[in-house]
Amino acid sequence: MGQFFENLKDTFVLNFIQEDRWKFVTEGIKTTLIVTLCAIVIGVIIGIIVASVRSTYEKNKEEYAKRGGFGVFLLKVVNGICKVYLTVIRGTPMVVQLLIMYYVVFVSAKNGVPVAIAAFGINSGAYVAEIFRGGIMSIDHGQFEAGRSLGLNYFQTMVHIIIPQVIKNVLPALCNEFIALLKETSVCGYIAIQDLTKGIYIIIGRTYSYYMPLLVLAAIYLIMVMLLTWLVGKLERRLRSSER
Amino acid sequence: MSVNTKGLIVTEDLKKYYRNGEIKALDGINIEIDKGEVVVIVGPSGSGKSTFLRSLNLLEIPTSGKIFFEGVDITDPKTDINMHRRKMGMVFQHFNLFPHLSVMGNITLAPIKHKIQSKDEARENALRLLKRVGLLEKAEAYPSQLSGGQRQRIAIVRALAMNPDVMLFDEPTSALDPEMVGEVLEVMKELAHEGMTMAVVTHEMGFAREVATRAIFMDEGRILEQNTPQELFSNPQHPRLKDFLSKVL
Ligand SMILES: Nc1ncnc2c1ncn2[C@@H]1O[C@H](COP(=O)(O)OP(=O)(O)OP(=O)(O)O)[C@@H](O)[C@H]1O
Ligand SMILES: [Mg+2]
Repeated sequence: MGQFFENLKDTFVLNFIQEDRWKFVTEGIKTTLIVTLCAIVIGVIIGIIVASVRSTYEKNKEEYAKRGGFGVFLLKVVNGICKVYLTVIRGTPMVVQLLIMYYVVFVSAKNGVPVAIAAFGINSGAYVAEIFRGGIMSIDHGQFEAGRSLGLNYFQTMVHIIIPQVIKNVLPALCNEFIALLKETSVCGYIAIQDLTKGIYIIIGRTYSYYMPLLVLAAIYLIMVMLLTWLVGKLERRLRSSER
Repeated sequence: MSVNTKGLIVTEDLKKYYRNGEIKALDGINIEIDKGEVVVIVGPSGSGKSTFLRSLNLLEIPTSGKIFFEGVDITDPKTDINMHRRKMGMVFQHFNLFPHLSVMGNITLAPIKHKIQSKDEARENALRLLKRVGLLEKAEAYPSQLSGGQRQRIAIVRALAMNPDVMLFDEPTSALDPEMVGEVLEVMKELAHEGMTMAVVTHEMGFAREVATRAIFMDEGRILEQNTPQELFSNPQHPRLKDFLSKVL
């Protein structure tokens, strides 16, 4: 038994203490969090915009068909672009999107982190958009009608009546998306970014020991996911308490 | 912009078709509603009552025809429909209160957003209206904490808070338990007595007889007969109306 713990300690020292290798872990966590958080922000912004365009178009199709004009034509075109975006992003692997972003779109990029943020943000935006669109569509149409019948315009109705209800409804699904995103950033190493996974990989390359670095890697992701879940849960409870 | 100076609401050959004319929800409605009138609309299910009412504030876009409200053609794409909707209160069968807002929030949202009243004025006005319908103590409650009858009274107050020139009611008591119908009708009767112009789709014949100035019978998207409620219900002419009344009375 004592032997076992002795071994454990030696392996730990070898992998994380010697030559300050723990720095790969802390630097990696930092990079992973930066990429994830920035991508979440970009994803939510893109998602809300795309979902708004799509549901605005769907909800007012009839009215627009009658009214016509350049604005309506423009909305139709933008709606089409959004559809293509959703299809392409959700139809191709994340790693492929990341590689294309790095080696094709931003060929001259020296630092991979902004490229990764863009790639993950654009990717996440597609999923967030569908979550929001589902949320908007699931709100009883009577809520729109009540808002509009009070003379609120479409935008005011969305902002003051629909979106607050949507956010509360989609929070669990959004949380899942954020968790998936956090885990998915582990492919950052493909474009030479030292995220958490890549950092651990570098340690393994130097120490040739596998089990401890990999278990630690899994544990750190798990802790980050649990933290994220806890945060969203707290937010959810706060939102709910405002209703009752 | 065409202008019509006759009644408060005038419709000219109003039509609403679905599925390229396969369904004629409204098939040429001509009506004039004057200020202070209380018009009750009856008719079998699917006759177009809701579609008619909802066309009046353009929740449904008419296929053709014109709607004049206070002399302005609101079907003209150039008119600002939001400005006119402020003057047309609407009460729905299923209340459609905003669940994320308190009673006070529900009532004051539109007046504040339209900058018609300051926050304080809007609150004061809301309290005055709540007192009138006997729900003053519910100002800070949420819709989920109210009974159906209370919710509908709040919905009426929410519409009234905009100081509308006309109130549209689409089966306001149909979703209520029988014992709660009375409290809502009471509020509506009071409104009628105060001279509010009202268009009401309802099956409540007693209400119609008591306060309506006119009753309209609709079937298959048309107005088949109209008269005072007493005459319309006691002395129907059209065979369809006779048939309808024999079923509901
Ligand atoms: N969005 C729609 N798409 C297709 N048909 C519709 C739509 N809305 C209404 N209709 C049809 O239009 C007709 C009139 O409907 P409407 O709801 O106005 O009737 P109603 O008199 O209010 O009936 P009820 O007493 O059941 O409420 C019906 O045949 C209905 O099926
Ligand atoms: Mg109806």
